[in-house]
Amino acid sequence: MELNEMQLDGLREIANIGSGTAATALSSMLGRAVDLNVPKALALELADAVDAVGTPDADVTAVVLGVMGDLDATVVLLFDPTSAETICSLLGVDPADPEMALSALGEVGNILGSSYIGAMGQMAGLELEPSPPAAVSDMLGAIVATALAATAVDTDFALLLDSEMLVEDAECAFGVLFVPSSEGVGRLLTGLGLAEAA
Amino acid sequence: MAELMARMAEIAVSRHEADVLVALGLGSCIGIALLDRASLVAGLAHVVLPESRPGGTTPGKFADTAVPELVRRVSGLGGSASGLHAVLVGGAQMFSAGAALDIGRRNELAVKAALATAGIPVTTTLTGGNAGRTMRVHIGTGLVTCKQAGSREQTIAVRDAGRLRAAA
Repeated sequence: MELNEMQLDGLREIANIGSGTAATALSSMLGRAVDLNVPKALALELADAVDAVGTPDADVTAVVLGVMGDLDATVVLLFDPTSAETICSLLGVDPADPEMALSALGEVGNILGSSYIGAMGQMAGLELEPSPPAAVSDMLGAIVATALAATAVDTDFALLLDSEMLVEDAECAFGVLFVPSSEGVGRLLTGLGLAEAA
Repeated sequence: MAELMARMAEIAVSRHEADVLVALGLGSCIGIALLDRASLVAGLAHVVLPESRPGGTTPGKFADTAVPELVRRVSGLGGSASGLHAVLVGGAQMFSAGAALDIGRRNELAVKAALATAGIPVTTTLTGGNAGRTMRVHIGTGLVTCKQAGSREQTIAVRDAGRLRAAA
Protein backbone atom coordinates (compact mmCIF):
# COMPACT_ATOMS: atom_id res chain seq x y z
CA MET A 1 0.00 0.00 0.00
CA GLU A 2 1.65 3.19 -1.21
CA LEU A 3 0.16 6.26 0.41
CA ASN A 4 1.46 9.74 -0.26
CA GLU A 5 1.85 12.54 2.28
CA MET A 6 -1.41 14.19 1.30
CA GLN A 7 -3.34 10.96 1.80
CA LEU A 8 -1.66 10.31 5.16
CA ASP A 9 -2.53 13.88 6.18
CA GLY A 10 -6.15 13.33 5.23
CA LEU A 11 -6.26 10.07 7.21
CA ARG A 12 -4.66 11.75 10.23
CA GLU A 13 -7.26 14.50 9.98
CA ILE A 14 -10.17 12.09 9.86
CA ALA A 15 -8.71 10.19 12.83
CA ASN A 16 -8.42 13.51 14.64
CA ILE A 17 -12.07 14.32 14.03
CA GLY A 18 -13.19 10.80 14.95
CA SER A 19 -11.20 10.68 18.16
CA GLY A 20 -12.06 14.32 19.00
CA THR A 21 -15.75 13.46 18.88
CA ALA A 22 -15.09 10.30 20.91
CA ALA A 23 -13.12 12.28 23.53
CA THR A 24 -16.05 14.68 23.93
CA ALA A 25 -18.42 11.75 24.43
CA LEU A 26 -16.11 10.22 27.05
CA SER A 27 -15.71 13.58 28.75
CA SER A 28 -19.46 13.92 29.31
CA MET A 29 -19.61 10.28 30.47
CA LEU A 30 -16.87 10.85 33.08
CA GLY A 31 -17.64 14.47 33.92
CA ARG A 32 -14.04 15.58 33.38
CA ALA A 33 -11.86 16.84 30.57
CA VAL A 34 -10.31 14.35 28.14
CA ASP A 35 -7.24 15.42 26.15
CA LEU A 36 -6.16 14.09 22.81
CA ASN A 37 -2.71 13.71 21.26
CA VAL A 38 -2.26 14.28 17.53
CA PRO A 39 -3.18 10.95 15.90
CA LYS A 40 -0.67 8.95 13.88
CA ALA A 41 -1.41 7.44 10.48
CA LEU A 42 0.92 4.46 10.08
CA ALA A 43 1.24 2.42 6.90
CA LEU A 44 3.47 -0.48 7.89
CA GLU A 45 4.35 -4.07 7.15
CA LEU A 46 2.35 -6.46 9.31
CA ALA A 47 5.30 -7.43 11.52
CA ASP A 48 6.18 -3.79 12.19
CA ALA A 49 2.56 -2.79 12.81
CA VAL A 50 2.30 -4.70 16.09
CA ASP A 51 5.59 -3.26 17.39
CA ALA A 52 4.43 0.26 16.47
CA VAL A 53 1.44 -0.11 18.79
CA GLY A 54 3.33 -1.42 21.83
CA THR A 55 5.21 -4.28 23.49
CA PRO A 56 3.70 -7.49 22.07
CA ASP A 57 3.69 -9.41 25.37
CA ALA A 58 2.46 -6.53 27.55
CA ASP A 59 -0.76 -7.17 29.49
CA VAL A 60 -3.58 -4.94 28.27
CA THR A 61 -7.33 -4.74 28.36
CA ALA A 62 -8.83 -4.14 24.95
CA VAL A 63 -12.29 -3.32 23.68
CA VAL A 64 -12.81 -4.40 20.08
CA LEU A 65 -15.63 -3.26 17.80
CA GLY A 66 -16.18 -4.32 14.23
CA VAL A 67 -17.19 -1.67 11.73
CA MET A 68 -19.65 -2.63 9.01
CA GLY A 69 -21.49 -0.80 6.26
CA ASP A 70 -19.65 1.02 3.48
CA LEU A 71 -16.29 -0.28 4.70
CA ASP A 72 -14.91 -3.06 6.89
CA ALA A 73 -12.70 -2.04 9.77
CA THR A 74 -11.93 -2.79 13.38
CA VAL A 75 -11.74 -0.30 16.25
CA VAL A 76 -9.52 -1.33 19.16
CA LEU A 77 -9.25 0.54 22.46
CA LEU A 78 -6.13 -0.41 24.43
CA PHE A 79 -5.84 0.22 28.18
CA ASP A 80 -2.80 -0.62 30.29
CA PRO A 81 -3.79 -2.24 33.64
CA THR A 82 -3.53 1.03 35.62
CA SER A 83 -5.62 3.02 33.15
CA ALA A 84 -8.23 0.27 33.02
CA GLU A 85 -8.51 0.39 36.82
CA THR A 86 -8.68 4.17 36.86
CA ILE A 87 -11.46 4.43 34.32
CA CYS A 88 -13.49 1.78 36.17
CA SER A 89 -13.08 3.70 39.42
CA LEU A 90 -14.14 6.94 37.71
CA LEU A 91 -17.29 5.14 36.58
CA GLY A 92 -17.95 3.84 40.10
CA VAL A 93 -17.18 0.24 39.18
CA ASP A 94 -14.97 -1.96 41.39
CA PRO A 95 -11.90 -2.76 39.26
CA ALA A 96 -11.25 -5.85 41.41
CA ASP A 97 -14.36 -7.48 39.95
CA PRO A 98 -13.08 -8.58 36.53
CA GLU A 99 -16.50 -9.26 35.04
CA MET A 100 -17.88 -5.86 36.06
CA ALA A 101 -14.66 -4.15 34.96
CA LEU A 102 -14.78 -5.73 31.49
CA SER A 103 -18.45 -4.88 31.15
CA ALA A 104 -17.82 -1.23 32.12
CA LEU A 105 -14.90 -0.97 29.70
CA GLY A 106 -17.06 -2.55 27.01
CA GLU A 107 -19.59 0.23 27.53
CA VAL A 108 -16.83 2.87 27.33
CA GLY A 109 -15.71 1.23 24.09
CA ASN A 110 -19.24 1.20 22.76
CA ILE A 111 -19.70 4.94 23.32
CA LEU A 112 -16.21 5.91 22.13
CA GLY A 113 -16.27 3.60 19.12
CA SER A 114 -19.75 4.65 18.00
CA SER A 115 -18.96 8.35 18.21
CA TYR A 116 -15.58 7.83 16.52
CA ILE A 117 -16.96 6.03 13.48
CA GLY A 118 -20.08 8.22 13.41
CA ALA A 119 -17.92 11.33 13.00
CA MET A 120 -15.64 9.57 10.55
CA GLY A 121 -18.56 8.37 8.44
CA GLN A 122 -20.06 11.84 8.36
CA MET A 123 -16.83 13.40 7.18
CA ALA A 124 -16.16 10.77 4.49
CA GLY A 125 -19.81 10.46 3.45
CA LEU A 126 -19.94 6.77 4.40
CA GLU A 127 -22.59 4.76 6.24
CA LEU A 128 -20.74 3.04 9.08
CA GLU A 129 -22.28 0.79 11.74
CA PRO A 130 -20.50 -0.53 14.84
CA SER A 131 -20.90 -4.14 15.95
CA PRO A 132 -21.36 -4.83 19.68
CA PRO A 133 -18.08 -4.46 21.60
CA ALA A 134 -16.03 -7.35 22.96
CA ALA A 135 -13.79 -6.62 25.96
CA VAL A 136 -10.80 -8.85 26.66
CA SER A 137 -7.70 -8.80 28.88
CA ASP A 138 -4.72 -10.41 27.19
CA MET A 139 -1.33 -9.80 25.52
CA LEU A 140 -1.19 -6.72 23.33
CA GLY A 141 0.34 -8.65 20.43
CA ALA A 142 -2.36 -11.32 20.45
CA ILE A 143 -5.09 -8.68 20.33
CA VAL A 144 -3.56 -6.36 17.74
CA ALA A 145 -2.33 -9.19 15.48
CA THR A 146 -5.78 -10.78 15.52
CA ALA A 147 -7.41 -7.47 14.58
CA LEU A 148 -4.83 -7.03 11.80
CA ALA A 149 -5.25 -10.58 10.48
CA ALA A 150 -8.82 -9.87 9.44
CA THR A 151 -7.66 -6.92 7.33
CA ALA A 152 -4.55 -8.51 5.83
CA VAL A 153 -5.94 -11.01 3.35
CA ASP A 154 -4.91 -9.17 0.20
CA THR A 155 -2.03 -7.06 1.40
CA ASP A 156 1.11 -7.37 3.52
CA PHE A 157 0.66 -3.80 4.72
CA ALA A 158 -1.55 -2.50 7.45
CA LEU A 159 -2.89 0.99 7.91
CA LEU A 160 -3.31 2.01 11.53
CA LEU A 161 -4.87 5.23 12.70
CA ASP A 162 -3.58 5.54 16.25
CA SER A 163 -4.93 8.17 18.69
CA GLU A 164 -4.06 8.59 22.34
CA MET A 165 -6.52 9.95 24.90
CA LEU A 166 -5.67 11.22 28.36
CA VAL A 167 -8.19 11.74 31.14
CA GLU A 168 -7.36 14.94 32.99
CA ASP A 169 -6.25 14.69 36.64
CA ALA A 170 -6.32 10.91 36.56
CA GLU A 171 -3.82 8.14 35.84
CA CYS A 172 -5.57 7.16 32.68
CA ALA A 173 -4.23 7.17 29.14
CA PHE A 174 -5.31 4.80 26.42
CA GLY A 175 -4.99 4.19 22.71
CA VAL A 176 -7.71 4.13 20.09
CA LEU A 177 -6.82 2.23 16.93
CA PHE A 178 -8.80 2.30 13.72
CA VAL A 179 -7.75 -0.54 11.39
CA PRO A 180 -9.50 -0.56 8.01
CA SER A 181 -9.32 -3.47 5.57
CA SER A 182 -7.19 -2.76 2.49
CA GLU A 183 -10.39 -2.15 0.52
CA GLY A 184 -11.60 0.07 3.35
CA VAL A 185 -8.54 2.32 3.03
CA GLY A 186 -9.50 2.97 -0.59
CA ARG A 187 -13.11 3.75 0.31
CA LEU A 188 -12.00 6.13 3.04
CA LEU A 189 -9.65 7.96 0.64
CA THR A 190 -12.35 8.14 -2.03
CA GLY A 191 -14.76 9.58 0.54
CA LEU A 192 -12.18 12.22 1.44
CA GLY A 193 -11.61 13.07 -2.23
CA LEU A 194 -8.01 11.84 -2.03
CA ALA A 195 -8.16 8.67 -4.09
CA GLU A 196 -6.77 10.26 -7.25
CA ALA A 197 -3.71 11.70 -5.56
CA ALA A 198 -1.87 8.36 -5.62
CA MET B 1 21.52 -15.82 24.43
CA ALA B 2 20.00 -14.38 21.31
CA GLU B 3 16.23 -14.23 20.89
CA LEU B 4 15.29 -14.52 17.24
CA MET B 5 11.81 -13.08 16.73
CA ALA B 6 9.27 -14.61 14.39
CA ARG B 7 6.89 -11.66 14.13
CA MET B 8 3.62 -11.69 12.15
CA ALA B 9 4.20 -13.50 8.83
CA GLU B 10 7.91 -14.08 9.61
CA ILE B 11 9.98 -17.27 9.86
CA ALA B 12 13.01 -17.70 12.14
CA VAL B 13 15.45 -20.62 11.95
CA SER B 14 18.64 -21.53 13.82
CA ARG B 15 21.03 -24.33 14.77
CA HIS B 16 23.01 -22.43 17.41
CA GLU B 17 22.79 -23.67 20.98
CA ALA B 18 22.51 -20.17 22.46
CA ASP B 19 19.54 -19.13 20.30
CA VAL B 20 15.89 -19.01 21.25
CA LEU B 21 13.19 -18.67 18.59
CA VAL B 22 10.26 -16.56 19.82
CA ALA B 23 6.72 -15.80 18.67
CA LEU B 24 5.26 -13.16 21.01
CA GLY B 25 1.53 -12.78 21.55
CA LEU B 26 -0.01 -15.38 19.27
CA GLY B 27 -3.75 -14.76 19.12
CA SER B 28 -5.58 -16.16 16.11
CA CYS B 29 -2.14 -16.61 14.51
CA ILE B 30 -0.39 -19.99 14.76
CA GLY B 31 3.21 -20.60 15.72
CA ILE B 32 4.58 -23.67 13.93
CA ALA B 33 7.78 -24.99 15.50
CA LEU B 34 9.64 -27.48 13.35
CA LEU B 35 12.07 -29.63 15.33
CA ASP B 36 14.58 -32.19 14.07
CA ARG B 37 15.15 -35.31 16.20
CA ALA B 38 18.56 -35.77 14.55
CA SER B 39 20.08 -32.29 14.89
CA LEU B 40 19.86 -28.93 16.65
CA VAL B 41 18.19 -27.28 13.66
CA ALA B 42 14.78 -25.79 14.37
CA GLY B 43 12.45 -23.26 12.81
CA LEU B 44 9.46 -21.20 13.88
CA ALA B 45 6.82 -19.68 11.59
CA HIS B 46 4.22 -17.10 12.70
CA VAL B 47 1.28 -17.82 10.40
CA VAL B 48 -1.47 -15.20 10.08
CA LEU B 49 -4.07 -16.64 7.67
CA PRO B 50 -5.04 -20.02 6.21
CA GLU B 51 -4.84 -19.66 2.44
CA SER B 52 -2.56 -17.67 0.16
CA ARG B 53 -3.74 -15.67 -2.83
CA PRO B 54 -1.95 -15.87 -6.19
CA GLY B 55 1.01 -13.51 -6.45
CA GLY B 56 1.69 -13.26 -2.70
CA THR B 57 5.24 -12.35 -1.76
CA THR B 58 5.29 -13.20 1.94
CA PRO B 59 5.28 -17.01 2.21
CA GLY B 60 5.35 -16.95 6.03
CA LYS B 61 1.96 -15.27 6.20
CA PHE B 62 -0.23 -18.16 4.99
CA ALA B 63 -0.45 -21.74 6.25
CA ASP B 64 -0.23 -23.29 2.77
CA THR B 65 2.92 -21.36 1.81
CA ALA B 66 4.54 -21.08 5.26
CA VAL B 67 4.90 -24.84 5.80
CA PRO B 68 6.92 -25.54 2.59
CA GLU B 69 9.02 -22.41 3.19
CA LEU B 70 9.70 -23.41 6.81
CA VAL B 71 10.73 -26.91 5.68
CA ARG B 72 12.99 -25.41 3.00
CA ARG B 73 14.70 -23.09 5.50
CA VAL B 74 15.14 -25.83 8.13
CA SER B 75 16.51 -28.25 5.51
CA GLY B 76 18.82 -25.50 4.27
CA LEU B 77 20.46 -25.41 7.72
CA GLY B 78 20.95 -29.19 7.66
CA GLY B 79 17.71 -30.47 9.20
CA SER B 80 17.01 -34.09 8.32
CA ALA B 81 14.01 -34.85 6.15
CA SER B 82 12.90 -37.86 8.20
CA GLY B 83 13.43 -36.52 11.73
CA LEU B 84 11.16 -33.49 11.53
CA HIS B 85 8.11 -33.03 13.73
CA ALA B 86 5.90 -30.03 14.44
CA VAL B 87 4.58 -28.31 17.55
CA LEU B 88 1.57 -25.99 17.13
CA VAL B 89 0.58 -23.10 19.41
CA GLY B 90 -2.10 -20.42 18.95
CA GLY B 91 -5.24 -20.35 16.85
CA ALA B 92 -7.31 -18.78 19.63
CA GLN B 93 -10.60 -16.98 19.23
CA MET B 94 -9.65 -13.67 20.83
CA PHE B 95 -12.90 -11.77 20.34
CA SER B 96 -16.50 -12.85 20.70
CA ALA B 97 -17.52 -10.58 17.81
CA GLY B 98 -16.12 -9.21 14.57
CA ALA B 99 -14.46 -10.35 11.39
CA ALA B 100 -11.67 -12.23 13.18
CA LEU B 101 -14.17 -14.63 14.75
CA ASP B 102 -13.22 -17.83 12.98
CA ILE B 103 -9.65 -17.22 11.78
CA GLY B 104 -7.95 -19.13 14.61
CA ARG B 105 -9.76 -22.38 13.94
CA ARG B 106 -9.36 -22.05 10.16
CA ASN B 107 -5.65 -21.38 10.63
CA GLU B 108 -5.25 -24.55 12.68
CA LEU B 109 -7.03 -26.71 10.10
CA ALA B 110 -4.99 -25.22 7.25
CA VAL B 111 -1.68 -25.65 9.11
CA LYS B 112 -2.47 -29.29 9.91
CA ALA B 113 -3.44 -29.94 6.28
CA ALA B 114 -0.22 -28.35 4.99
CA LEU B 115 1.89 -30.39 7.45
CA ALA B 116 0.08 -33.58 6.40
CA THR B 117 0.85 -32.77 2.76
CA ALA B 118 4.51 -32.30 3.69
CA GLY B 119 4.49 -35.61 5.58
CA ILE B 120 5.45 -34.03 8.90
CA PRO B 121 3.79 -35.38 12.07
CA VAL B 122 2.36 -32.98 14.66
CA THR B 123 3.56 -34.15 18.07
CA THR B 124 2.12 -31.43 20.32
CA THR B 125 -0.81 -29.05 19.86
CA LEU B 126 -1.76 -26.21 22.21
CA THR B 127 -4.41 -24.42 20.19
CA GLY B 128 -7.90 -22.94 20.40
CA GLY B 129 -9.46 -21.40 23.48
CA ASN B 130 -9.61 -17.63 23.80
CA ALA B 131 -6.27 -16.62 25.31
CA GLY B 132 -3.14 -15.25 23.66
CA ARG B 133 0.11 -17.21 23.94
CA THR B 134 3.84 -16.62 23.63
CA MET B 135 5.92 -19.52 22.27
CA ARG B 136 9.66 -20.14 22.61
CA VAL B 137 11.90 -22.78 21.02
CA HIS B 138 15.16 -23.22 22.95
CA ILE B 139 17.70 -24.53 20.47
CA GLY B 140 20.24 -25.67 23.10
CA THR B 141 17.90 -27.75 25.25
CA GLY B 142 15.39 -28.64 22.54
CA LEU B 143 12.53 -27.49 24.78
CA VAL B 144 9.43 -25.73 23.48
CA THR B 145 7.68 -23.49 26.00
CA CYS B 146 4.38 -21.65 26.03
CA LYS B 147 3.14 -18.82 28.22
CA GLN B 148 -0.46 -17.62 28.37
CA ALA B 149 -1.36 -14.13 29.54
CA GLY B 150 -1.43 -14.09 33.34
CA SER B 151 0.14 -17.52 33.84
CA ARG B 152 3.58 -19.09 34.07
CA GLU B 153 5.72 -20.32 31.21
CA GLN B 154 5.36 -24.08 30.72
CA THR B 155 7.37 -26.65 28.80
CA ILE B 156 5.04 -28.26 26.30
CA ALA B 157 7.34 -30.28 24.05
CA VAL B 158 10.89 -31.54 23.54
CA ARG B 159 12.96 -32.10 20.44
CA ASP B 160 13.47 -35.80 21.08
CA ALA B 161 11.22 -37.40 23.68
CA GLY B 162 12.79 -40.83 23.12
CA ARG B 163 16.28 -39.60 23.87
CA LEU B 164 15.04 -37.74 26.95
CA ARG B 165 13.49 -40.92 28.32
CA ALA B 166 16.64 -42.92 27.59
CA ALA B 167 18.74 -40.37 29.47
CA ALA B 168 16.47 -40.39 32.53
